Amino acid sequence: MVSFLLRRLLAGITLVLLVASATFVMLNFTGADIARNIVGETATPEQAWAKATELGLDEPLALRYIEWLGATLTGDLGKSWFTTVPVGTTLQTALPVTLSIILGALIISALVSVVLGSLAAVRAGWFDKTVQFSAVLADAVPGFLVALALALVIAVNFGWLPATGYVPYQRSVVEWLRSITLPSIALAFGAIAATTLQLRGSMFDVLQRDYVRTLRSRGLTENSIVFKHALRNAAPPALTVLSLQFIGLVGGAVIVEKVFGLRGIGSLATAAAVQGDAPVVLGVVIVMVLLVVAVNLVADLAYGWLNPKVRAE
Amino acid sequence: MIKKLAVAGTAVLALTLSACGGGDTGGTPGEGATGGTLTLSISQDMKSWDLAEAGLGHSEQYYQPVFDPLLRLDQQGEVKENLATSWTYDPALTTLTLKLRTDVKFSDGSALDSTAVKTSLLHAKAGTGESAAKLKSIDDVQAPDPSTAVVKLTAPDPGLLRNFANVPGMIASSTALTAASGPVGSGPYKLDASASTAGTEYVFVGNPDYWNKKDFPFDTIVMKTLDDPTAETNALLAGQVDGASITPDRIPALEGGGLDITKFYSGIVEGLYIWDRAGKITPALADVRVRQALNYAFDTKAIVKVAKKGLGETTTQHFAPDSEAFSADLDKKYGYDPAKAKALLAEAGYAGGFDVVMPDISTLFPEAQAAMVEQLGAVGVRVQLDKIPFSQFMPSLLQGKYALSYFKTGSTDPWNVIQLLVKEKATWNPLGYKDDHALDLVNRISLATGEEQDKLYKELNEYMVDQAWDAPWNFVQDVYASSKRVQVTTQPYSMLPPIYNFKPAS
Repeated sequence: MVSFLLRRLLAGITLVLLVASATFVMLNFTGADIARNIVGETATPEQAWAKATELGLDEPLALRYIEWLGATLTGDLGKSWFTTVPVGTTLQTALPVTLSIILGALIISALVSVVLGSLAAVRAGWFDKTVQFSAVLADAVPGFLVALALALVIAVNFGWLPATGYVPYQRSVVEWLRSITLPSIALAFGAIAATTLQLRGSMFDVLQRDYVRTLRSRGLTENSIVFKHALRNAAPPALTVLSLQFIGLVGGAVIVEKVFGLRGIGSLATAAAVQGDAPVVLGVVIVMVLLVVAVNLVADLAYGWLNPKVRAE
Repeated sequence: MIKKLAVAGTAVLALTLSACGGGDTGGTPGEGATGGTLTLSISQDMKSWDLAEAGLGHSEQYYQPVFDPLLRLDQQGEVKENLATSWTYDPALTTLTLKLRTDVKFSDGSALDSTAVKTSLLHAKAGTGESAAKLKSIDDVQAPDPSTAVVKLTAPDPGLLRNFANVPGMIASSTALTAASGPVGSGPYKLDASASTAGTEYVFVGNPDYWNKKDFPFDTIVMKTLDDPTAETNALLAGQVDGASITPDRIPALEGGGLDITKFYSGIVEGLYIWDRAGKITPALADVRVRQALNYAFDTKAIVKVAKKGLGETTTQHFAPDSEAFSADLDKKYGYDPAKAKALLAEAGYAGGFDVVMPDISTLFPEAQAAMVEQLGAVGVRVQLDKIPFSQFMPSLLQGKYALSYFKTGSTDPWNVIQLLVKEKATWNPLGYKDDHALDLVNRISLATGEEQDKLYKELNEYMVDQAWDAPWNFVQDVYASSKRVQVTTQPYSMLPPIYNFKPAS
């Protein structure tokens, strides 16, 4: 197990370095005049040049890469070229926002999928058909439309939840929950569809197996059979989908964060990429790759917990 | 496990619903004459609390709560006293003497005196921010006594007083020049760092020791960074935000939602900019008759009506209506007259027209580009569009790659316009066009004051219009949306209303 974890960790670090290095090189070929973007269109060429020199943009690419790599390996991600705020601080602010809405979306997705997927497999018939049709429909609706509709109806028209903004849970747990509820629902919409269908399928298979028949013959209640025994065996494939969803949700968060005015990793990445704020883009890339590695690792460990056979292997 | 998840889900739902209809996380907007909270949205994040790196334009509002400027503009754009109670120039206009208030303290308790002014201005001047660029004419600052600051200039700077009424004139405490631990100024509010989140929301609480509290009726000011138009619109409609600068396409939704809409001009002029007046790339443009023909080629009223949805004021000049250089008569100089345009082209030897390459701007301004290409084509100017990524648009223009292009820039301050467009090394004179007569007028403007200066500004403006310096279409109209809870007054020389122009509605 320790060897497995170490191998995964090493692969993760290599992946981070490779992706971040490729990003560093690509950022230098966008053709944007970063110094001009920072000092503004009214500044003189001398002022733009002074800013370029201050940022080290006049140095050769290789030298800048070595300097960046050295600093990154010591944990120094630098400062934003546009706001001068340390990238580490910016990420510390943005990461909880994105993780909060993704976590919220995953919880909503898991809960709704378990209920709908299990019921569809158990009841079959018209309920199953309705669930399948609704899932396809939910998958087809673009996430930004759901986000817009929720913001307009729930926040603007009824005023039940805030239309924009994020409140850290340290400041108020209730306000934190209020601020992430609509974005989480919007984000969960597509994920629910895929996970429900996956769970329905695997649950259907499991319920046909011999041991379920045996459990029934021993007089166990249907609820106990479905939720205590069958679900445990049907869950791993759904968990795979859910872990993949996590990575997909990070992408979906870009749109949702924009609609709800949240300064998360997604909107931070978009804004920094548009501006050409290389230190922030690189910081985001490193965090995102680390997240993907971590999620895959957690998913592997969860398989083991759910399925003893995997642990033995 | 399922039970646990279900319990957790129920708890989340219960907490969410129990909080429905609760307090607004963005702060309750101002309540009547007692002040309350003013919540404003700004579409871009601030650059830095260090005044040496401070931005201008849409960033200005961020600095106004914490830092007080030396001077202030009134609602007509006239320079008035603030930290400085009086100011005088020497006859050569290179020494500005400021008399300072003696009852002002920074929020760290230190006194705001001439030494603090000197330290802050020289620190800001050394920076590379947009604001610092406005201080480059300063050679030195002297502090002969605590209430007198003497600003020595390398050359006369007619824009300096107005700049001192904005971010460039703001003074930071000498103990926190780089604002590494947050901004320390002498302004009407202090940043509440514990309630603020960098990049998202800045909360300012009243400074109990401020010397001019009557101009700032709100107890708390919250500034939210909302860079997405949809999010900003929803925040306005939901009452989370009291004011925001908006794009014209959002007016119907916001008016329908009960918000007040204020339209104003911040001096931005859009149209066809002629970069190559010397004819280095396109020789035809060296002939003033050709440039005049380009002015006659555009149906600017139709462009404003169709491409700008009526939001704009047609013009032929670069100097805004609020500025000393503006002359209403000049707007009658050119009208839409394709026949006259063709005649002028023929007179200049281009009866068959000429070819020109321009950057493609269809991704951002499709209507403007369509109108421009069609109307130039109608008089014989054949436009070939160069498809470049938008990130290359500004760098290409600054490198002097194009003879002509659509563009918009400007300022209500006429001296800023000169710095931007007229001087040989001006930022937006990428091909270094040099006009001795215009430069002579600029020099005389810098050495003049009062009515004489105003007269020279007008003379320069008239000369530029006669010479068809560019082919402007219109002044860009800016729009500000505000809730019924506040009264807001826009102001010349400001892209966003300054915070002292906001009052509770009742």
